[in-house]
Parts: sequence; structure tokens; C-alpha cells
Amino acid sequence: MLWKLLPVGLSYVLLQVTLRFKDDGDLAKRLQDRDPRAMSDLYDRYGRLAYSLIYRVVRNSGAAEDLVQETFLRVWNRIQSFDRTRGALGPWVLTVARNRAIDYLRSVDAKMSAGALELDRLESPPLFSSFEDSALSLDRARVLKTAFEKLTPTQKQVIELAYFEGLSQTEMAERMKQPLGTVKTWVRSALKALREDIAGEAIA
Amino acid sequence: MNPCQDFHDEFELYALGLLDPAEKTEIDQHLLTGCSTCEAALKNALAMNAIMMSTAPGVVPPARLKRRVLASVGVHPMSWSWLAAMAAACMLVFALWLSVQERSRAAELAQARRTLIDVSSQRDRLMQALSFLDDPATVPVSFGKGQPIPPHGNVFVHSRLGVLLIAANLPAAQAGKTYEMWLIPKGGAPRPAGLFQSQGGTAMHILSGPLDVGALGAVAVTLEPESGSPAPTSTPIIVAPVAGP
Repeated sequence: MLWKLLPVGLSYVLLQVTLRFKDDGDLAKRLQDRDPRAMSDLYDRYGRLAYSLIYRVVRNSGAAEDLVQETFLRVWNRIQSFDRTRGALGPWVLTVARNRAIDYLRSVDAKMSAGALELDRLESPPLFSSFEDSALSLDRARVLKTAFEKLTPTQKQVIELAYFEGLSQTEMAERMKQPLGTVKTWVRSALKALREDIAGEAIA
Repeated sequence: MNPCQDFHDEFELYALGLLDPAEKTEIDQHLLTGCSTCEAALKNALAMNAIMMSTAPGVVPPARLKRRVLASVGVHPMSWSWLAAMAAACMLVFALWLSVQERSRAAELAQARRTLIDVSSQRDRLMQALSFLDDPATVPVSFGKGQPIPPHGNVFVHSRLGVLLIAANLPAAQAGKTYEMWLIPKGGAPRPAGLFQSQGGTAMHILSGPLDVGALGAVAVTLEPESGSPAPTSTPIIVAPVAGP
């Protein structure tokens, strides 16, 4: 389901994402130096990806614009604690973007509570340092896509609910009207399959 | 069982903030121990999550969003699109200026051309008049002599060239009026012979083309409506009897 929704240019987008991750160090330095052109470059690299991801989650262009703005503002404000030598700017921006979108969904559903604080902690810049270059290769993206295609429909569904709707396993069980244990099995098996295929590719 | 392995299965959900509080707390505490294996596994989970997130169907954001984002951090760049728009505006103004200049130049050129045509036309008329005067076959007739109210002048008649009228002391026709020349055959009705105006008290009018001088009784001029008349509607101002060759 997820992969069937992907546009024809997915490979190109992935290529951009994965390849750009490698020269993010210089961009991060310029952001830290408050170079006015750096923010423009950051947006050029990740603006469309962030907007696409946020739009996928909130399904509302007006809200998506607000959330993209919030995403980049947050990155700008926290860039000083980012490890520019081995940091992964792209994954961080996407994580911040996804968290803003999920946070928005939860606030609409009046489920903000402690979730917002938790998401905030999970996008802390130090988390995105010391990435292996190979962790974000195009090959891995292809492997992930192939692995996703091999999942069962229920596994694909739980993966989408996790990544793009921000549902916990308990919430998935309620939504899917399935026992929590069953849902956990689907989630774990799906993630395990994805993870193993990527790890297999790395070894190969 | 190795607890790390259990955690490894949870890191994607942990990084997405989707674990139950108890599970999350357990991982938090374990990471605080500095377990390098789990730290590496967490990085891999973050990487996988990022790649998964980047697979959202591509949607093009509106162009204004970039300006909003930059403005929110106090950057107001002169974007290329603005530069392009300004360049286009400058070029438009320049093109308009050139157009005005060109139009003005074209108007001047047209005026010069009109003047040239007028001068050329005057010269042709003078040359035409001279050809009457130079030709011995021309029959000159004077008029107005001895009359109390001028005008006076001469009519030159030529069987091949036509009729040349030169009048002096001929006042300008009133508004909406014009002078009309008539050829009056002997024993016949006046025939229209062209319209003309007097400028500065003098007038010259030429009717080109062959005519039967012997049959011509007189050349006359009347004041007529601006568009001319097929037959005289007023008393002749000039009457020049033609005696024949």
C-alpha cells in the first residue's frame, strides 16, 4: 500500500535524500554560522521532502505549510547543538517534520498530553550524530522498498499507522479491532523483516 | 536472553515515540549505561525511519512557503525570482521608452516626409506652370483689369496642357467654402474644372489635359461649398473670356 502510493520519481527523491546526507556537514556549519544563504539551501534540500511527509500525515495544505515553517524554525533554533562533523541533517529534519505533523494530529484529537514532550526529546540533535555513511545509502532505500513490498497487508498497514499516523500499538489494536498481542506481533515481524533485509544488504 | 536484543526490536518504535511508557523508560535507562551496541542499533533505527519517512508521496509545496520559512528566521533574500521580475520590469520600462522614442521619431519622420511631398508637389506645380508659360502655343488671357474690386490675374490656355489660372488679390475663401474653376464653352453650360484655395491673397490652379481651345468661350471662378458643385451656385468672382488661338 505505502509503496504503491509512491510517485514514479521516488527513486530520484530517495537518491537526492540519501546522497545529500553526505555533504550536510558544510551546510550545518553555515547554519551554525548564521549564513543567510544557508537557510535557503536547507529549504532547497529538504523543503519538498518535509512538506510531502507532513502533508502525508495531516492531509491539509494550510496546516502542512504552518508545520513546515515550524520545522525549519526549530532546526534553525537548535542547530548549534548539532554535530556537524558526523551529523545526519536530513534524517533530523525529517524526524522533526514528522514529529511536528504527528504532534498536530494529536493536538487535533486532544491527545497532546505528554506526547509532545516525548517527541521533542526524540528529535534532539545529538541523537542524529555519529551516523555511518552507509546507513543512508540509496541501496538501503531500495532494499527497504523491496522489503516493504514483501510484507503482508496487515504488516504494511501497521507500518503506515506507525510512521504516518503516529499510532501506538495499543491505538492500532483499537483502530484495527485486533488483540494488542496480535498487533505487536505484526509490528515486530514487519520491522524485523525490514531491518534484516537492510542488514543483509549491508553485509552483502 | 540478551536484553539488548529485545531493545533492538523496539528502537524504531522508540524513536518514533510510540512505545508504552514502561517500555520507553526501560530503554532510556539502558541507553544511559552507554551500551555501544544499542547506540549503534538506535542509529540504524533512526536511519531506517528517515528513509521510510522520505517515501511519502511527493507533493510540491507552494512557492510562498520558502519565503515564509526564510522570513520566520529573519532572512529576506532577494530571490532569483524577484531579481528576474525586477529585470523584466526594467526591460519593460526600457522597451516602453524605446517605443516612445521610436514613435516620436516616426512622427518626425512622417512630418518630414509630408513636408517633402508638399515641397515636391509645389515644385511639380511650378514646373507645370512654367511649361504653360514657355510654350508659344499657350493662349494668355488677363482678367480683372479695370474692375473696381480685384482680383486680377491671368489665365493661360493650351490645347494639350490644359488651363493655368494665376490670381492675385484673391481673398481666402470663408470656412466651409472653396473656389471652383469653370470652363464655359461657347454657347454651352459651365463645366467644373477643379477646386482650389487662395493663400496669402494669391492662387494658382491647373486643370491638366487636352481641351478644344477654339470651342472655349471663357474661364470663370465662383465661390462654392467645400465639396464643390456640379454647376455654379454663385456669381462669378473671376471671368476671363477666351478669344481663341
